[in-house]
Amino acid sequence: MKTCRVLSCRKALRIVPILLLGVAQASAQAAGGTPPIREIVNTADYMAYYQGRDGRARVHMVITDSQGRTRTREFTILRRDEAPKGTPDKEFIGEQKFYVYFHRPADVNKMVFLVWKHIDREDDRWLYLPALDLVKRIAATDKRTSFVGSNFFYEDVSGRSLTEDKHELLEANDKEYVLKNTPKDPDSVEFSYYKMRIDRNTMIPRLIEYFDKNGEKYRVYEVLEIKEIQGYPTVVKAKMSDLRTKSNTVITYTGVKYNVGLPDKVFTERYLRRSPRRYLR
Amino acid sequence: MKRFGMKMIRYSLDHPRTVFAVVAAVTVSLALAAALPSIWPRSFPWLNAVKVDTDPENMLSKDEAARVFHHDMKKLFSLHDMIVLGVVNEKDPEGVFNPESLARIYELAEFAKTLQWPDPKDPSRQVGVVEVDLIAPSTVDSIEPGGPGVVKFEWLMAKPPKTRAEAVEIRRRAARIPFLNGTLVSEDGKAICLYLPLTAKDLSYKVSKRLKQKIAGFKGEDRFFITGLPVAEDTFGVEMFVQMAISGPLAMLTIFLLMWYFFRKISLILSPLAVTLVSVVCTMSLLIISGKTIHIMSSMIPVFLMPIAVLDSVHILSMFFDRYQKLRDRRETMMSVMDSLFNPMLYTSLTTVAGFASLALTPIPPVQVFGLFCAFGISLAWVLTMTFIPAFVAFIPEKFLTHFGLSAAEEVPQTALARGLAWVGDATRRGANVIILGMLVVACVAVYGIHKIRVNDNPTKWFTKSHPIRVADAVLNRHFGGTYMAYLALEATGKDKSLSAYVEGFRKRLAAQAARLAADNPQSASVFGQLGEEASRRAATAGGIDKLLDRLAAFADAQADAAEDDDTADAWDDAGTFVAREKQRGEVFKQPAVLNYMLRLQEHLKKSGIVGKSNSLADIVRTVHRELFQSDPAHFTIPKSAEAVAQCLMTYQNSHRPQDIWHFVTPDYRQTSLWLQLHSGDNVDMVAVTQAVDRFFKENPPPVPIQHKWFGLTYINVVWQEKMVWGMLFSFLGSYLVVFLMMLALFRSLLWGILSMIPLTVTIGLIYGAIGLIGKDYDMPVAVLSALSLGLAVDFAIHFLEQARVMRAKYGSWARAAGPVFGEPARAISRNVIVIAVGFLPLVPTPLIPYRTVGVFLAAIMAVAGITTLLILPALVTKLEKVLFPAKQPARPSCSCAICLAAGLASVALVAVNVHQFFGTEWNRLSVFGVVAVPLLLLSCWGLSRRKTCRVPEGRRDQDMNEKDGT
Repeated sequence: MKTCRVLSCRKALRIVPILLLGVAQASAQAAGGTPPIREIVNTADYMAYYQGRDGRARVHMVITDSQGRTRTREFTILRRDEAPKGTPDKEFIGEQKFYVYFHRPADVNKMVFLVWKHIDREDDRWLYLPALDLVKRIAATDKRTSFVGSNFFYEDVSGRSLTEDKHELLEANDKEYVLKNTPKDPDSVEFSYYKMRIDRNTMIPRLIEYFDKNGEKYRVYEVLEIKEIQGYPTVVKAKMSDLRTKSNTVITYTGVKYNVGLPDKVFTERYLRRSPRRYLR
Repeated sequence: MKRFGMKMIRYSLDHPRTVFAVVAAVTVSLALAAALPSIWPRSFPWLNAVKVDTDPENMLSKDEAARVFHHDMKKLFSLHDMIVLGVVNEKDPEGVFNPESLARIYELAEFAKTLQWPDPKDPSRQVGVVEVDLIAPSTVDSIEPGGPGVVKFEWLMAKPPKTRAEAVEIRRRAARIPFLNGTLVSEDGKAICLYLPLTAKDLSYKVSKRLKQKIAGFKGEDRFFITGLPVAEDTFGVEMFVQMAISGPLAMLTIFLLMWYFFRKISLILSPLAVTLVSVVCTMSLLIISGKTIHIMSSMIPVFLMPIAVLDSVHILSMFFDRYQKLRDRRETMMSVMDSLFNPMLYTSLTTVAGFASLALTPIPPVQVFGLFCAFGISLAWVLTMTFIPAFVAFIPEKFLTHFGLSAAEEVPQTALARGLAWVGDATRRGANVIILGMLVVACVAVYGIHKIRVNDNPTKWFTKSHPIRVADAVLNRHFGGTYMAYLALEATGKDKSLSAYVEGFRKRLAAQAARLAADNPQSASVFGQLGEEASRRAATAGGIDKLLDRLAAFADAQADAAEDDDTADAWDDAGTFVAREKQRGEVFKQPAVLNYMLRLQEHLKKSGIVGKSNSLADIVRTVHRELFQSDPAHFTIPKSAEAVAQCLMTYQNSHRPQDIWHFVTPDYRQTSLWLQLHSGDNVDMVAVTQAVDRFFKENPPPVPIQHKWFGLTYINVVWQEKMVWGMLFSFLGSYLVVFLMMLALFRSLLWGILSMIPLTVTIGLIYGAIGLIGKDYDMPVAVLSALSLGLAVDFAIHFLEQARVMRAKYGSWARAAGPVFGEPARAISRNVIVIAVGFLPLVPTPLIPYRTVGVFLAAIMAVAGITTLLILPALVTKLEKVLFPAKQPARPSCSCAICLAAGLASVALVAVNVHQFFGTEWNRLSVFGVVAVPLLLLSCWGLSRRKTCRVPEGRRDQDMNEKDGT
């Protein structure tokens, strides 16, 4: 019964965003009132993961542990939306693909992480380990494990499916919307809910706080810097902190470019072993 | 001294009320100053409250190198001391791997996560169980293949299983992971162990108590065991106080009853009790007031003070008892008794004080505190004996004493003790040869026994075998790799040589890489060549390899950005990667050769039989490697390249607990930590493991320069024990010499001096010989007892010899003097032996072994010291009568060349021992000092004895005393 309901809900969702997205922002900003919660959720998701048809950025990641020691990672991230031809950009929050190519540390150079993000089923994830010449599928259950030792999870890279949580609007003021998101399947995740503060102006989720089963806050995501790039308000610096291990990860995006024209073939297993160098620079 | 002392005694006899008032006022105010801030700390912030410290680690001073290293490493690798919680089910065929048991284990782990409290010192911090590092089935990851080409990390037990099949599946999964097998899951598959890391180990009693409460609510067949060094140490601290509260008063009561039996007058024997009580209360109060902590050592101060404080009083009362009826005047009797006993009592107290005070020179802070406060307590007891007891006697109305003591008619008392002693006195004269021969035989056996002494300790074994902690220790070490943790830190020490030599190697490697890439990219050769040129050009001004590489990296990046065609850009990209790889050259613990070396070392350790399990970075790498290749056992190896190792480790960090890796290696991969689980926490076993490692390193040089060093609680215990054994030995030697000098001063004769040292030497030889023979480990309480035996054994000899001298002078020959010596003085000695030996037997049934050891050994020391004094000394006096009582005495002791030399040599040795102990001066340098000092001494002694009249007043002796004071 449950599966069935979720499925139907997902099907519905594929249509809903296309109809509502553009309207959501317009109506909210024009009227100054509070739009329906579905609109807020969808717009925030769009702002976080879907701006432009595709995109590219060089990411510098600094992981700081409780002793203040740092480790760095450097990778290029490529993203391509799988929008049907003719769909206006703003109306799409569906399937997309990510290609993450590691430059540093040198001994993981050429390591690649590939994601096919789906809406109606679990995402597909691959990891290519060049020194072992191995392509590994990453199990769906591992989506909330650490992404290359950082405080981000795999799921944070490509985004958590909107259908997995119930959303409640806790607060709406002239600065922000505060959403409480509760998982529909509590056993699949380590949090009991997370609170999201969405900046009303940009509709970018500015602060996300995760709470554990005892109601304690243990994980915090915060946006540190936003820049407008090619007309898109873009997060260029963000931080994820683990309050239990007292460690945090700061990511900085440079060389952000939207609508690069990334071909679909780049996001295939063939390109795991043979990096698409011209798109990585 | 004696004149002043006698004045003091007379004053006390005359003004008993004043003495009482002063003693009461001092005692009460000290006790209040100690108690008030402990009860109401807020109202008395300027005073120190009771501080309890049960941590044996504090046996080492805070800046002790081994301890500093231990803490640095714990911090570096984010390691914590752990409580080990084992769950065993011997009824179910699958052990704990059934749904019910696993549900309880799950609940227990969830409960353990909540065992956190705000830090009382800093409420913003939480203390207690370190949740993120908790090792339990529900909090650890299992890495395994999840279908073709899939590798997954999954909580080993995300939820308690519903069926028996699921429960067994959890065991199967855990057993596959080397890190978990033998650590979390027992190798026999029947039991599970949870490891609860604590923010501070002094929380372990509190945490284990809460766990026990939780466990008490469980039903079923599971048995739960809690152990680990932190729990053992912390629990000992708690139970120690319970024992103090029970055994101390019980010992006091026993002594009281025995004295009552001997002297039959409650009113009179109250006085030694009061002396003891006041000494103990004042000493402990001062300890608290001075801000010192009550440690395992200092908690024993009352136990040690009680017998010593009571000693002098028993001598006084004993003689008072024997003489009272002759004089029938309490004041006169007291003055006569004090006249006879003043010198022996002064010297016995001084020697005991010296014995304890010498502990202040050991390099162990709690032992220093213990020694000094014991010395203070004994001095105080002496002062009280000289003042309070006369005052007390003066206070008793004469009529109360009418029937006290031996009546005049009972000149030869008819008690069994008196008759026995008289017989012994006789026997020692007749059988002197046999006794001396016997003594020699015993001495030989003792030397053999001492030779067999095994220095060993283990805080877990401070509890009796039936104590829950010992039971848990036995059960869990049978099922698992071991509950005692030790860590071996490995550090890469090799460094690149000069910058120019480095650049040379850099260019060679660069050329090789260019040649490899040339086939793919025609631009590689030229680009890499440019990079090489740039390296040589910048080498001179770079100021270090790292800085040079940073500059080269920036250079390559800039060139890649500026490149006009793709090939050039790619080549510069490759060049940048090459530079980055050069930066990682120092990451020694990613190198396959090094990791394989670690695996061999672990193999070697496993063979020792003591290390049940070891976990290392190499284990992680090979486990991940195997799982990446579909769990193929052929891939349970270290991959061939450092890059492959790095990628295995990157995969490992994709788990739920990415931070786990940093318990094993530092982010720069230049330091690693091997986690060893030992079956035994015995220091001898830990030492055997360290020796096995040293041997391995010697026989198998590591592929790169690596330095190894130990840390972990099990190892720290070895360090402080080693310090203590040697420290105690030297402080014992020092105080032995001090006592010898005192004896020379007291008896003014070398022969008498040596004679007085014999019972003490034999006692210590016998006690420690017995320890070696019966196989009792030489541990902390045994070491401390040497100080006590020194003080007690010499007491009896002083009393005996002093009386022997007096009686010999009175009766003219030993044959006639022996009888009286075996009367009054011998009875006093025997009463002392019995009172204290029996008085400490209540310590024997305690569940804490160190207290038991103290009880048994105190009794043994008293008995042996008493017996040797009463047997050997009279036998020797019989044999040596002519030499001991010469017709002509030298004018002054300093005129005797023998005394002068003996005193001189003892002083030189004393200075040497203490300089070595205190300043850590090498023996080589000290022997130079000896070579210079001894001939000088010879000369001066020769000069002294050649003086015309030998009239230089007290010269040499004063000098001796000064030397002693000066060290």
